[in-house]
Amino acid sequence: MKKIFVLCFLFSSYLFGQEKFTLSGTVLEEATGETLIGVNVIIPELKTGTITNEYGFYSITLPEGTYLVQFSSLGFVSQQKSISLTQNTTLTISLKNDTEQLDEVVITADVERANIKAPQMSVNTLTAGTIKSIPVVLGEADVIKSLLLLPGVTNAGEGSSGFNVRGGAVDQNLILLDEATIFNSSHLFGFFSVFNPDAIKDVKLFKGSIPSRYGGRVSSVLEIFQKEGNSKALKFNGGIGVVASRLLAEGPIVKDKAAFLVGGRASYAHLFLPLFDIKNSAYFYDLNTKLNYRINENNNIFLSGYFGRDLFSINDSFVNVYGNALVNFRWNHIFSDKLFSNLSLIYSDYYYGLELDFVGFEWNSGIQNFNLKYDLKHYLTDKLQINYGINNIYYSFNPGKIKPNNSESGIVEEQLIKKYGNESAIYVDVEQDITSNLSVEYGVRLSHFIRFGQDEINVYEDNNPVLFDTFTLVYSEAEPLETIASSRSDQLKSYTNFEPRISAAYSINEDLSVKASYTRLSQYLHLLSNTSSPTPLDVWTPSGPYVKPQLLDQYAFGIFKNLKNRTYTLEAEVYYKNIQNRIDYIDGANLIANNAIEQVILNGEARAYGIELLLRKNTGKLQGWVSYTVSKSEQRTPPRNENEIGINNGEWYNTPYDRPHDISIYANYSWNKKWTFNSNFVFQTGRPTNYPIGQFVFQDVVVPYYGFRNVERLPAYHRIDVSAIYVPTQKEDKNWSSEWVFSIYNVYNRKNAASINFRQNEDTGVNEAVRTSIFGIVPSVTYNFKF
Amino acid sequence: MNRFFYIVAITTVLFSSCEDVIEVDVPTDEARLVIDGLIRVDTTQEFVNVKVKITKTTSFFENIETVSNIPTIFIYYGVENEFGELINGSYSNLTELNSGSGVYEPDPTFSTDQRIRTNNLVEETAFWLILEYEDRRYAAKTYYATSVKIDDLEQGDGTLFNEDETEVIISYTDQPDKENFYIFDFGFGNFLPSEDTFYQNQPFSFSYFYDEDLEAGDEISVSILGADEDFYTYMNLLIEQSEGGFGPFETPAATVRGNIFDVTGIDNINQYNNVEQPDNFPLGYFAFVQEFKQTLVIE
Repeated sequence: MKKIFVLCFLFSSYLFGQEKFTLSGTVLEEATGETLIGVNVIIPELKTGTITNEYGFYSITLPEGTYLVQFSSLGFVSQQKSISLTQNTTLTISLKNDTEQLDEVVITADVERANIKAPQMSVNTLTAGTIKSIPVVLGEADVIKSLLLLPGVTNAGEGSSGFNVRGGAVDQNLILLDEATIFNSSHLFGFFSVFNPDAIKDVKLFKGSIPSRYGGRVSSVLEIFQKEGNSKALKFNGGIGVVASRLLAEGPIVKDKAAFLVGGRASYAHLFLPLFDIKNSAYFYDLNTKLNYRINENNNIFLSGYFGRDLFSINDSFVNVYGNALVNFRWNHIFSDKLFSNLSLIYSDYYYGLELDFVGFEWNSGIQNFNLKYDLKHYLTDKLQINYGINNIYYSFNPGKIKPNNSESGIVEEQLIKKYGNESAIYVDVEQDITSNLSVEYGVRLSHFIRFGQDEINVYEDNNPVLFDTFTLVYSEAEPLETIASSRSDQLKSYTNFEPRISAAYSINEDLSVKASYTRLSQYLHLLSNTSSPTPLDVWTPSGPYVKPQLLDQYAFGIFKNLKNRTYTLEAEVYYKNIQNRIDYIDGANLIANNAIEQVILNGEARAYGIELLLRKNTGKLQGWVSYTVSKSEQRTPPRNENEIGINNGEWYNTPYDRPHDISIYANYSWNKKWTFNSNFVFQTGRPTNYPIGQFVFQDVVVPYYGFRNVERLPAYHRIDVSAIYVPTQKEDKNWSSEWVFSIYNVYNRKNAASINFRQNEDTGVNEAVRTSIFGIVPSVTYNFKF
Repeated sequence: MNRFFYIVAITTVLFSSCEDVIEVDVPTDEARLVIDGLIRVDTTQEFVNVKVKITKTTSFFENIETVSNIPTIFIYYGVENEFGELINGSYSNLTELNSGSGVYEPDPTFSTDQRIRTNNLVEETAFWLILEYEDRRYAAKTYYATSVKIDDLEQGDGTLFNEDETEVIISYTDQPDKENFYIFDFGFGNFLPSEDTFYQNQPFSFSYFYDEDLEAGDEISVSILGADEDFYTYMNLLIEQSEGGFGPFETPAATVRGNIFDVTGIDNINQYNNVEQPDNFPLGYFAFVQEFKQTLVIE
């Protein structure tokens, strides 16, 4: 904390001796009372401005005078206010929707414009409107599928969980829903994401240049804010689709003071299993709730909750339930017109349960965490803002508990050893305009992780849990010398990391800037998964005596340009990143129900680099973007000493998420008031895979065998999707408005390979290569309504 | 145990997918020697039915070739002394009885009986398999692994993923007071490795679902084979690789290396360091395991 005060003190010299006053306040949507994120507050006369923060608050300090202040945000009617600034002034502004459509139009162009000057780079923003207009499979609007159209974002293909950012792994994304961490972002093994599009206000993805207020994951931060609820009138909206339906209600509890939001979504049972007569079901549901109470101008509290579950049941022989739950209490307090604060208290958990009747057991695992965050934003001058805060997260990991599911089962109840950790951090982040052309954002995060004691800890000879046989060249699990117990208050191991972040933007002119950034991040939690895409039952494990934290260094450089009077924007970025201590697994590692995971893990490293191009058209009837990424993502696990060979002979090999070429095109055409058309095109190099270099037979089992890892590739992945949105004429006396979304996924029915399996045909005994493809052409229709 | 979990994850995804056979050009590696030396011991018989099958690897779409005319191949066995050395062991020389089959069995043309008597086997019995082929010498060592009886084998009427499946319920009792590994052989090339972590010392039963088209009157046989941890790991990896990847949940490809090594020019295996020539190895496994088998006629 001392550091922060020193910094504050230093910058206070900027203020000294100047006659300045502060203009601050909140920007709201007029119709709903919802706070608006990222609204431009611009003072053209001074060529300066600011944007509203995540809670709709803005503050700017200016010399005494009378100014015209513009408030603008795409999709809203801009407002100009003449303000005579002779004292500190609070001004709350309500902006009017500029359209009668259900969803406001796509890209937040004004923010983009401001972003030419801002040092923040490697970030993409999507509004709920964009997400809803992007055609997706089975017509269910989806946050993560929308992100995949952006440069540098891919996933392992259809039916896979999560997403990969700039060649990073799925577990390296920090996913925040109203500031709470989400551990599994997918429903139904990745067919849908867990975020209800109706409840979402704003989505922001940081791919690099991650401000120091975030930490704990090395690849990216996906920050999602839910709506607060309409404080003016009771409103409903919802949709009926081919796989799921949703309904959301929001309204005032006390008009203009307190509001609620409740949204639910559920898929229909028997979703994937219509082909069989046996009794089974597969479905998901989720529930979003939010309460918000404006106590007074300076105090605002929020209570939000999320609960989502996936359920599978097949013939009562197996039952599988998993999902996230979270509760979050936040308190916004404005200390002064220059000092905004937010306190968050968050509990979240992830649960995985499985019952296998034919083996006679039940299994459950999960992770729980308690998170306290206190963030302050200090708007010192119009040129200087300092953000600082603290964060503490306590984790409890349940790697699994197994128990018999009936009295006749021979299964012995066993609790795998629970693990505990605490991650704390303090940060300071400075946003500063040094000259009118040069702005910088710099800061540092100091993170600290403690791995606490647990019931049993293995002790190994030479502290080495993984053995290597120099004759057979095989890594194997070491036998522990002994097992000791330690108290939950003991510290088994602790790590401290200093994470500097810096980014700078230099504007060459109003429409052209260059930016550069350096980011260091550390990650103390690791998802144990050796499959191409995580499965819901993969468990998280904390860093500790044998598993080191992952450390990232990322360098990025970019050019940002407005073209043709800001009709187009062009962004080009190059990046290089290096991750130390990326865990890798020895051949044949068993990660599930393994009480001594350190015996199958080696610490390796990863690197990724690439170039990303994004051309957007921001205005007119036709809008959209073209993105192209050329990149490389590799990892290696070198030998620990000269007597070992490492994994894959210690050579670099392609990560499963290496996609050298990735092209996405998204276009949105507003034909008239009734019809809007959307289309995407996606082309990606196929995912790395392995083809057998030979085969042998052992006991009638045909076994393909492989050489170096991930040398071959699946065929290229590509498809086109289209959708049309039809808005029927609204009856003037009725409050009911609606729209129809007709979509076709994978129009030319490309059989994109999710995998190629090499196996023996069971009937003919002939070896064959079998391509599995998940979705061919999929038409769908969704009806959305609002009243 | 982990196989059960994978089955669940994988099968769910496949419900909505479609499969087709495609043409793929696969790379070819130089041919390696493959030794299928899983010796199953039926302790109710007088002699062990020793059969070692030797083949060569081929590229994935070619036919497997057997290897004939191996000049020297024998098993050397006995109980090791306190230094882990096998001094006064017995020999069982093998030969290819049916020319071209690649199957090597105790040689009946020797003046002494080369067969191995089951009543000579104890749990500490060590076995070496030694063979020479094309100027290379190969060796493998294993210990006798005991197994347990099948307490009960019956047909059930349940199905899991598909109506045509046939359920069989296998019951057995875990060997007390030690960490055990078992390999279940259901026939048709279906193996299931299991460890006793979660049913230590317990009578245990589970269901297995055949997806082969079994008709009433068909006879199936189910075996429990003993295994040590290495063989259990080997079989796990072997099955994982033979099933191939399943899209997003595919596991990393690995070369399934067994316990047979090229020992050409080595006097003392325990001091040998192979780091300089990591690619020099045969495939396959040599194991000497007790087998309990039961048959069942499908109703």
